[in-house]
Amino acid sequence: MIRGLEPFLKAVENPYKTVSEWKERTGKKVIGCYPMWLPKELVHAAGLLPVVVWRSDEPVTIGHAYVHTFNCGLTRSFVDDAVRGKLDFIDGFIIYRTCLQAQELPFILEQHVRPAYLEYLYLPAIFPGAATKDFLIEELERFKASLEEFTGKEITDGELRRSIELYNENRRMLRRFYEFRRKNLGVLRAREVMAVVWSSMLVPKEEHNTWLRELLLELEERQEELLKEPRVKGDLKVVLTGALCQTPQFEILDMIEDLGMVVVDDDLYVGSKYFANDVELDGNKRPLEALAEHYLKREPTCPTKGDWEMDWTDEIAGMVKRGGADGVISLLIKFCPPHLCYYPDIKRGLMEAGVPEVMIEVEHEIVSLEGVRTRLQSFAESLRRGA
Amino acid sequence: MVEKKEYKLNRLETTKLIGPMVDKHWAELREAKEHGEKVAWCSGPLFIFPYAMGMKCHFMAGYAAYCAGRKAGDQVLEAAEADGELMDTCSYHRLHTGMAAAILRGRPVRKEVILPIPDLLITGRLCTEMAHYAEALYRRLKIPVVAVDIPPPRRKEDLPRLERFVVRQIKESLIPALEKVCGKEFDEEEMRRILRVLKKATTLRNQCWEFFKLKPTPWTLWDYGVSIAPVFYMMGKPETVPYYEKLLAELKERAAKKIPAILPDGEKYRLYWDAWLPWAFLGMFIRKFVSYGAVPICGRYPWEFFPHPEYIDPDADDIVKNWVELYYTKGHQAMVMMTEGALEQIMELVEEYSIDGLVMFASKTCRAWVGQREIVNEIERRLGVPGVIIEADMVDSRMVSEAQIETRLQALFETIDARRRR
Repeated sequence: MIRGLEPFLKAVENPYKTVSEWKERTGKKVIGCYPMWLPKELVHAAGLLPVVVWRSDEPVTIGHAYVHTFNCGLTRSFVDDAVRGKLDFIDGFIIYRTCLQAQELPFILEQHVRPAYLEYLYLPAIFPGAATKDFLIEELERFKASLEEFTGKEITDGELRRSIELYNENRRMLRRFYEFRRKNLGVLRAREVMAVVWSSMLVPKEEHNTWLRELLLELEERQEELLKEPRVKGDLKVVLTGALCQTPQFEILDMIEDLGMVVVDDDLYVGSKYFANDVELDGNKRPLEALAEHYLKREPTCPTKGDWEMDWTDEIAGMVKRGGADGVISLLIKFCPPHLCYYPDIKRGLMEAGVPEVMIEVEHEIVSLEGVRTRLQSFAESLRRGA
Repeated sequence: MVEKKEYKLNRLETTKLIGPMVDKHWAELREAKEHGEKVAWCSGPLFIFPYAMGMKCHFMAGYAAYCAGRKAGDQVLEAAEADGELMDTCSYHRLHTGMAAAILRGRPVRKEVILPIPDLLITGRLCTEMAHYAEALYRRLKIPVVAVDIPPPRRKEDLPRLERFVVRQIKESLIPALEKVCGKEFDEEEMRRILRVLKKATTLRNQCWEFFKLKPTPWTLWDYGVSIAPVFYMMGKPETVPYYEKLLAELKERAAKKIPAILPDGEKYRLYWDAWLPWAFLGMFIRKFVSYGAVPICGRYPWEFFPHPEYIDPDADDIVKNWVELYYTKGHQAMVMMTEGALEQIMELVEEYSIDGLVMFASKTCRAWVGQREIVNEIERRLGVPGVIIEADMVDSRMVSEAQIETRLQALFETIDARRRR
C-alpha cells in the first residue's frame, strides 16, 4: 500500500467528477484543452483551470451522427460527450491543429455546446525557418489577448512567469517519479504511474505539486521496504510507446504486468512526453517567447509536429538501452494517422536495432481483450525464448 | 419504390483527349532524370514553384488518380503493406510508400507507375497527412525536404495573418531550397508565364462550369474531374488552353441543341458530391448514378482549383503573394478545408446549382474533408436538402462495398422522391 498514490488514483477514477467538484469548490472557470502541445501555462496565468480533455469509458452513441466512425477514440468520445451535454460544466475549449480530426471540433462545439469561450489556435508545424517562430509568437500573443478579453483581466509577464515556474516544478517532480520507477522496478504499477501523470492534466498544478511532494517523500523514505515486496512481479522489462493524445485502457496495462512484463519506462503522451522538457526561463527572455521555444522543441519526437529529421525510433531505442528493457510494446491508437504514418518505420528500425517489438491496437470500444492478451502472451513468450 | 427508367450516359467527345495528354505528362516525368532534369515530388498547392524552375514535378493526389486510372492502385497498396504499412493509413500515403518499396526493395508493381527518385520533396501542409507522406519518404529515401505549413482558415478574419505566414515560408524556405537544388535563381518570369496560361485555362474552365447550371445538364462532375489535369499538374502547358476551348465549344453546342449528359432526356436527380473523386471507381459510381437518372453536378474538391481566375495577376508586383492570395484573402480556396468555410460554400452551390441531394464521399483512410456529417445535418436543417454518407476509399478497393453504396443511394433517391410528392 502506497498512501501517497491515493489522491492521484481517486482523481482519475471519474474525471468529470474531479473537475466539476473543483469548479464548485473554487468558483473558478474550467477550460478544456485539446492535447497535446497547447501552452496551458497561459490559461493558468489567466486565472483559469486548464484541463486536458479525455476519453470517456462509455461507448460512442449519439456522437456518430456528428463524426465518422473511423475517427480516433478520443475525438469520437469527446464529441459524444459534447453533444450529450456531459461537458456542459466546462466553460471553454481550446483546440488546435493536432491532426485533421481536431480541425472539425470547433464547429461541433460551437453548434452543440456553445461554450462561453472557444479558441482555435493555428499552432504551426515546427518547420525550420524564422517564419515559424515569428508566426507562433504572434499566435500566442493573440491567444493571450483572447484569454484577457474572456476574463477581463490582463495577464502580466510576472503572472505568466509564476505559472511557468509552477508547471516546471510539476514536470521536474514527474521526472523524479519516473526516475524512481526506473530504479525501483516493480514498486509501482503501470496504471498507477499513468494515474499520476493523467491527474496532472485534470487537477490544478498547485494541488498536484503538493500530492507529488508527499508521494516522492513516501517513496524515497520507504524505498527499501517497498523493494523487498515488489507489487509487480515479472521477469521481463518493457518500454511502452505511442498512445498519442489519450490514455489506453488500464486493463491493457494490468494485462502486461499479469503476463510477467514490468514497465521500466514509456514515451506515451500520458507519460513521459507530457513532462519531458521544462519551459526555459531566463532573466531577459519574455515568458511568451519561452513558451514558443518550448513548443518548438524537437524532443521528444512527436509525429504531429512535422519534424522529418528527428528519429522517433532512436529515442525509443535509447529508452530501451537506458532501462535495460527486453522489448517494446507499441500502443497504437486505432485511427491515429500521425502514429499510423510513422509506425512502419519504428517497427523496421527497432527490428534492425535488434529490439523486439509488438504492436497493440488500442480501440475506444475494446472488441476483445482476449485478443490483446494472446498477442501480449506470445510476445512475452518470444522474449523469454530470446526469439 | 424508386421509379426505374432506362438512362444512358452520353459521353463528351473532348474528354477523350485527356488520356493521351495525361500519359504524356507522366511519361515525361518518368524519363526526366534520364534527360538530366531535376524532379520534385510535391504535396499541397506549391507545384507552380518547381515548375517555374523548370523542374518536373509529381503531385501527391494527382499520382493517386494516375495509379488508380492505370488500375495499379491495389498492386501498389499491396507493395506498401508487404513493407509494413497498415490498412488504416491514408491510401495516398500508402501509394507513395508502396512505390518507394518497389524502388528500394524490388516489390513488384507495374513499371508505368514507378517514378524516379526525386531531388527534392516538397510538403505543402494544407492537410497534415500531406506532411506525413514526405516525412515517411524522407526516412526511406533521405532526400532533402522543404516544407511550408498552409493552415486552413476557420474564420475570414484569420486570412490575412495566415497569408503572411505562408508567403514568408515560400520566400524564405521554398524558393531558396529550389534555387539550391537547381543551382540557379528563382525564375519569376517563368512563373508569370505559367500564370498567364493558367489564367486563360481557368477562365475557360469557369465558363464551362457555368453549364452545370443548365437543366438538364450537358455534362457531369466526372467529366469535369477527368479534366482537372490542365489546371492542375499540367498547368502552364500550352495544350491546356486548346483543351478547354474544345470543351467549351462542345458544351455550347450541347446546350444549343439541348443535348443532356444522360439520355434520353436528362437527369432526374442533381447531386452534390463531396470530397475526393473516387479515382479508382469513377466508372462504378457513374453507372450507379446514371441507372437512377442521377448526375453529380458539383463538389468542393474540384472547386478548390482556381474558382476565381480574376484574381490571378501574372503582372503582380509580388507574384508569390498573388499566388497565396488565391488560397487566402482573395480566392479563399483554403477555407473549404474547414467545416465553417465548406458549409458556407456548399450551401451556395446547393442553391445556385439546384441540387436535390448530397452524397458525402467519406474515405475511410482520409479525413481531409472535415465536417462531412455536420454539413449533411446543417444543410438538411437549413435548406431541407437531404444527404447520405458513403463510406469507402478513393483507391483501396477492399473498403468499397457496392451493396452499401446501392442501399445508401436508394435511400437518398427515395427521400428526394418522397419530398417531391409532398
